Order: sequence, then C-alpha cells, then structure tokens
Amino acid sequence: MICCKECIELLCDYFEGTLDPETASSLEDHFKDCPPCVSFLETYRQTSDLCRKTLTAVEIPEPVQEKLREFVKTHILNR
Amino acid sequence: MPTQEEKAQDEILVRDMKAGSMEAFNKIFELYQRKIYALSFNMTRNQMDAQDVTQDVLLTIYRKINTFQEKSAFSSWVYRITLNATYMKLRTKKKDQYVSLDESLPNFNHSGFQNEKISNWSKSTDSLLFSNETKKVIEKAVDLLPEKEKVVFILRDVEGLSTEKVGDILDLTIPAVKSRLHRARLFLRKKLSHYFDEYQTRSAKQ
Ligand SMILES: [Zn+2]
Repeated sequence: MICCKECIELLCDYFEGTLDPETASSLEDHFKDCPPCVSFLETYRQTSDLCRKTLTAVEIPEPVQEKLREFVKTHILNR
Repeated sequence: MPTQEEKAQDEILVRDMKAGSMEAFNKIFELYQRKIYALSFNMTRNQMDAQDVTQDVLLTIYRKINTFQEKSAFSSWVYRITLNATYMKLRTKKKDQYVSLDESLPNFNHSGFQNEKISNWSKSTDSLLFSNETKKVIEKAVDLLPEKEKVVFILRDVEGLSTEKVGDILDLTIPAVKSRLHRARLFLRKKLSHYFDEYQTRSAKQ
C-alpha cells in the first residue's frame, strides 16, 4: 500500500487525469482506508475552487474602463 | 480555454491588424482587455498598476503585432506581454518577503502515514464563500505566494488555462508547471485550513 506522503504527492496528477491506471487505482484504494487523506484530497480540491470563484470575479471598474477607452482613442486610434 | 472558433477569430483579427485595420484592433481591445486587466490585477492587487499594465499591453500589441509569429497562439503572446509588463511593475516596488512553502504538508510518521486528524472543511464553505472576510483571506494568501508559484496558480486555477497552455506561456515543461501548481495549492490549502478551523471554533463558541 502506498503511504499518505506519496498519495499527496500524486494529487496534482490525479486531478489532471494523467496517472497511469495502476497508480490511480492504488491511490483510490488508499483513500478507501484513509479518512485523513480523503479530507486532504477534498480540501485540496476545494482550495482551487474557492480561489477560482473568488478571483475570477475581477471586472474592470467603470472609471478604469473609461480611462482605457480614452487611452486607446488618443494613443492608438487617432494617432 | 479558447475554443477552436475563438482561435480562428483571433487569426483573422491578427491578419487584419497586420494589414493596418483599426477595426480589428478595436475588436482585440474589446476581447482581451478584461483578461489582461484581471491577470495583472490578480498579480499586483493594485488597480492603478493593473490599469498601467493594460495600457502598456495594448500599446505593445498595436506596435509589435508585426513581430508576432503565428508559432504559438495569439492569446499566449498576449499573456506573455501582460506578464512582462506586470513583472516590470512589481520590480519597481519589490517587497520580497520570503515565504517558505516547505511547511505546507501535514505531519507524517516515519513510514509516511498521517498521524493527525485532518479537518475537512470542504463542505462547509458555501455560506462563507462570498463573505468579504473570506475573500480577503484568499486574496492575502495568494499574495503571499512567491511569484513563480503565484503566476502558475493564477493562470491554471484562476484563469482556467490548461497545463499545456501555461507551459507554453511561461516556457516551462509540463512537470515544472505541475510541481509549481502543486506547491501553490498545498500552501493555500494550509492557509485556508487555518482560517476555516478558526472560523468553526469561533462559531461554535457563539
Ligand atoms: Zn492516507
């Protein structure tokens, strides 16, 4: 059986789906018997999700948008 | 991820821009300004800097479009220019606080097994997700990442680009992208765990 340390090292590849089937299944076997690793796996995945949801919400604020349009107009389009 | 149609659209716009079409430039401006601004903002967390960077990048696209060779995707080229301009900004105000990513792992015993309870907060974050406090904690944790890990994390997990694309933009091998991504996620997981554990203790007391 692979140990927790090895499991955690493989998590990135596991989520990318790039592990060979044998390694992937030994990882899944480990998860069946190891609640701490399941917690780790779920919080690892949730970390990416939370960060994405929080940080992709970046929009250009209206005053900045105004400045950018002005900039493009004076420095590029009407040169 | 850019779809096949988006790529084809980019190619047409690039061709027209090279031929001097202002209309094509304007379209590129509309299509890319948010991506440029968001990437730069997430790297600098500063509105003024992100605005400056976006302006620089637009100017560079306009001036250097003829040097762009269609060996890689136009979007990769834009991301690269954006990062270069962002690094220039960051360099002028070097903060260089050293953060170690080495302590992001749980405790293992000598045979490599975990010997502590790991709290699983993954299902209790919904109500917290859009609270300002959670947002601040996440922003602060990401800001603490060293530049190398931060840029990979933002491109891959925040912008949602593929591992291959991130490698193309940063000129890194796939294993190098994955290893930086993994280090970043481990660090952030640890930071968020502190926060959610503390949050749960706080609410249990109330
Ligand atoms: Zn385990």
